[in-house]
Amino acid sequence: MIDNRYMDKIDVPFLFSALGLILIGLVALYSSSQPVIQGAAGTNYFVLQSIWVSMGLVAMVVAAVFPLRILNNIAYGLFLVALALLLAVLVAGVAGYGAVRWIRIGPLNFQPSEFAKLASILAAAKFLGEGHRDVNRPLDFALASLFFVLPFLLIARQPDLGTALVFGALVLPVFFWAGLKPGNLFLIIMPALTMVASFNFIAFFAVMALLSLYLIITRRPLWMKIFNFVLNVFIGLIMPVLWGHLKDYQKKRILTFLNPEADPLGAGYQVIQSMVAIGSGGLHGKGFLQGSQTQLRFLPEQHTDFIIAVIGEEFGFIGILVVLVLFTILLIRMIRIASLTKSRVNSILVIGMATVIAFHFLVNMGMTVGLMPVTGLPLPFISYGGSALLTNMVFVGLTLNVYRNRFEYF
Amino acid sequence: MISISRKYVLYGVTIAIVVILASRFYYLQIYQQDIYKEKSSKNSVRVLTELPVRGNIYDRNGLLIADNRPSFSLYLIPGQTTRHTIKEMVRLFNLDEKKLRQRLRRAGKFQPVKIARAVDPQTLAYIQENAIDLPGVHWQVEPARHYLRKRGFAHVLGTLGEINERELAIFKEYELGDVVGKKGIERAMEQALRGQKGIRYVKVDAMGRVVEQLENKNNRPPYPGKDLYLTIDARLQEYADTLFQGKRGALVAIDVRTGEVLTLLSKPDYDLNAFVGRINAQIWQQLLADTTHPLYARAYQSAYPPGSTYKIVAAVAALNEHIISPEWKAFCPGYFRIGRRVVRCWNAKGHGWLNLTGAIKNSCNVYFYQLGLKIGIDIWNKYSLLFHFGEKTGIELTNENPGLVPSRAYYDKIYGKNGWTRGMLANLAIGQGELLVTPLQLCQFDMMIANRGVFYPPHLTLKLVDQITGEVTPRLVNQRRIDGIRPEVWDVIHTGMHQVVSEGTGRAAHIYGISVAGKTGTAQNPHGKSHAWFMGFAPFENPEIAVVVLVENGGSGGGVAAPIAGRYLRKYFYYQGKFDYRKEWKIIQEIRKRQQERARLDSLKRAPVEAPF
Repeated sequence: MIDNRYMDKIDVPFLFSALGLILIGLVALYSSSQPVIQGAAGTNYFVLQSIWVSMGLVAMVVAAVFPLRILNNIAYGLFLVALALLLAVLVAGVAGYGAVRWIRIGPLNFQPSEFAKLASILAAAKFLGEGHRDVNRPLDFALASLFFVLPFLLIARQPDLGTALVFGALVLPVFFWAGLKPGNLFLIIMPALTMVASFNFIAFFAVMALLSLYLIITRRPLWMKIFNFVLNVFIGLIMPVLWGHLKDYQKKRILTFLNPEADPLGAGYQVIQSMVAIGSGGLHGKGFLQGSQTQLRFLPEQHTDFIIAVIGEEFGFIGILVVLVLFTILLIRMIRIASLTKSRVNSILVIGMATVIAFHFLVNMGMTVGLMPVTGLPLPFISYGGSALLTNMVFVGLTLNVYRNRFEYF
Repeated sequence: MISISRKYVLYGVTIAIVVILASRFYYLQIYQQDIYKEKSSKNSVRVLTELPVRGNIYDRNGLLIADNRPSFSLYLIPGQTTRHTIKEMVRLFNLDEKKLRQRLRRAGKFQPVKIARAVDPQTLAYIQENAIDLPGVHWQVEPARHYLRKRGFAHVLGTLGEINERELAIFKEYELGDVVGKKGIERAMEQALRGQKGIRYVKVDAMGRVVEQLENKNNRPPYPGKDLYLTIDARLQEYADTLFQGKRGALVAIDVRTGEVLTLLSKPDYDLNAFVGRINAQIWQQLLADTTHPLYARAYQSAYPPGSTYKIVAAVAALNEHIISPEWKAFCPGYFRIGRRVVRCWNAKGHGWLNLTGAIKNSCNVYFYQLGLKIGIDIWNKYSLLFHFGEKTGIELTNENPGLVPSRAYYDKIYGKNGWTRGMLANLAIGQGELLVTPLQLCQFDMMIANRGVFYPPHLTLKLVDQITGEVTPRLVNQRRIDGIRPEVWDVIHTGMHQVVSEGTGRAAHIYGISVAGKTGTAQNPHGKSHAWFMGFAPFENPEIAVVVLVENGGSGGGVAAPIAGRYLRKYFYYQGKFDYRKEWKIIQEIRKRQQERARLDSLKRAPVEAPF
């Protein structure tokens, strides 16, 4: 029997689902690190990731016991540091994969965008957690938005559209949790809808009609109605122009996402091979170390972006279900912790972290099965990668920290 | 604090995301698993084709002429190559970069594209040393032609080369990059020589590397091509080549008892080794630009006016049609008047009164001008066609020239009705004018004369031998016959041709101990000096071999072609054990001595005798 005192201090299902995902990740990395020809040398991602996991466990424990009050106090400071680092990357970053994302500190390559995730969420939570703030008020809304918009712009400039979109995605759940009214939520979603619709005249017209209808029936200041209308028209007009300014590989990724077969050896190659790996796994999978797509290296980026395809191929639909269930438990528990927490700041903090994990989860899994464009976002806890793993384990630690202090008011 | 309902909204969103993802995975992994399982196995299973070893080529006595040696072929794997690799390959092998890139694009990502065959050791060593900087370059050992005897064989064997799109349409079972015979016997016997490709199922990784051999009922090893035995005698072919040092022309020799071609020499020719692997563009341009056209096989691809050798056709026609009797005589004053034109006999002094055998012996033009006018174009044409001039002999080789035998219709077409004169016919009778024959056709005619009308289609393949089972497929040739020529006609012709060599224009072809019959020809042509011809057969009593010599712009047939034929026949009979070089040498020495003695005595007679006082 587990002592009730521990149960009280630690959300066991949450912690175990996170550790379970990490374990599954190590298994998949072990498989994808097998040399094609016996005895041939190669990078052993399993060993490297194991080292990162042990470092991550330390980071997790530190995050779990670190006084949340202090964290709250230095939140704005951390945010400013994050912004400074992102600027530094633009000025003196290290190039990789056609974009500048890294900054070198001594022997270490450091990815400031990972740190910025945490800093942004902390700062936004602190801001929205203050009793007198109301996200439905235009000024508070605008100020709170800055915590996400500024990193978004800096990271998009690197350019790393995938990671930048994480900050975009944070706005909705965090503001929603902070009490954004459904009508305002609608107005926030509208520009995104307009963006997609702007490439088709009829769709754009329909979206604008919907917006107009809402603006007519709602009771809001006239200037706000006009502002929203003009904003959406402006977005609708500027989008096709912006499309022309996208990098070729970004355009290609989006177009290939729409039809991967169009370029089977180029940009579509990854998605096709990933779908072949997953689909050929069937119900039970081909067995551990038996996946031909994985073992013969047909599957690209199999230790990072497409690691779920390794699981899908070797462990089949059953393996995928285990991963899905673990992520479901993890996210549901995080939402539950957020709702249990007395502290408004900590509650928003947990929702922010859950959003980051959920967004990566959705986009990564979606891209491996052709539901999402290839953005290069790793799968939390499972994909190889030190920075991302550390960030996610710090998130776990902080969530446990919030759970432990759920009855405290700040 | 925060309203409870918001929690459920987020629960709902989370569940929705998971359900969407789960259903998509379900769709791929359960509903569509068969499609993807097949795709997955196709991905890693590859069918490798293994090239068979091409059949060897031997001469009639089993002497090896061409076999195969291992050579290195280079391949590029499109998915692994870099711009640097392509640049380097283009530089090393003189490739067309645009075309290469196109081929790489068309091939699959991991499908090897062959870029060079028979890479020389230095280049290969360079590539192997720099392999790290040249990703995507792979090499493989493949058989390539190797020539043990190449002197004089270029036009018989022909070259090999990579298949082109036109040939792909003919040979369906080939693929791009395969090597096929382009010319000569390699092309003609392609089907027999090439063998059958092997098929092997293997498992490959994404880099195209073979990681496992797979069991499959369709696996089969390559089956080697059949060995080809030529009718050519390699020793004679090479000897003939030495006789044409610095000359252009052809030598064709046929065994008249079988139709087997013993020698088929065309000069000038080219170095077969230059065509192993990808031919150097510079050498190719040189060959194309060469004004002596070394790529043309003169023995069967070029047609020439046959000159006086063709007088035999007129003679046979006239005798057989009872236009003249063998005793009919004509007077040669050294010139002949046709209408307002005066044409000269080659002997300006004139031959005087000649009968047919005398006219053949002395190759008198005036006699044959008159004979030609008596025969008329229709009968002349009929006999030319009867002897299969103007049509291909049907030898295995491609692009044979059929020659040209003018007819009344032909002249009507070219010059209009009544637009041509009898003089043209007179010209035809001595083998000039529009008439064109190939050395091979003339040799076939030579065989018909030697056999008194019996002949065999000339051919180059003796037999095919299966390398595995040893099964022999001989080449069967049916005897054919020129009907309707009376035996007495042949007697007269034979006598005339015998005299040509024993005492006439072809004395240079005379050899000790063997009686040779023949006919010389000196064909005027607009391209310079006359072409020298000789056609002959031997032994006269019981013919074995027919030989035709052509020396392009060589001069007189008796002076240039006949000696070559004589030397060739000596070699032939030497190998047959019927001729002894030393004996002939001794006899020549004796004759010379006797002549010197006589000359000395003559000079003594003529010298003023010094009177003693």
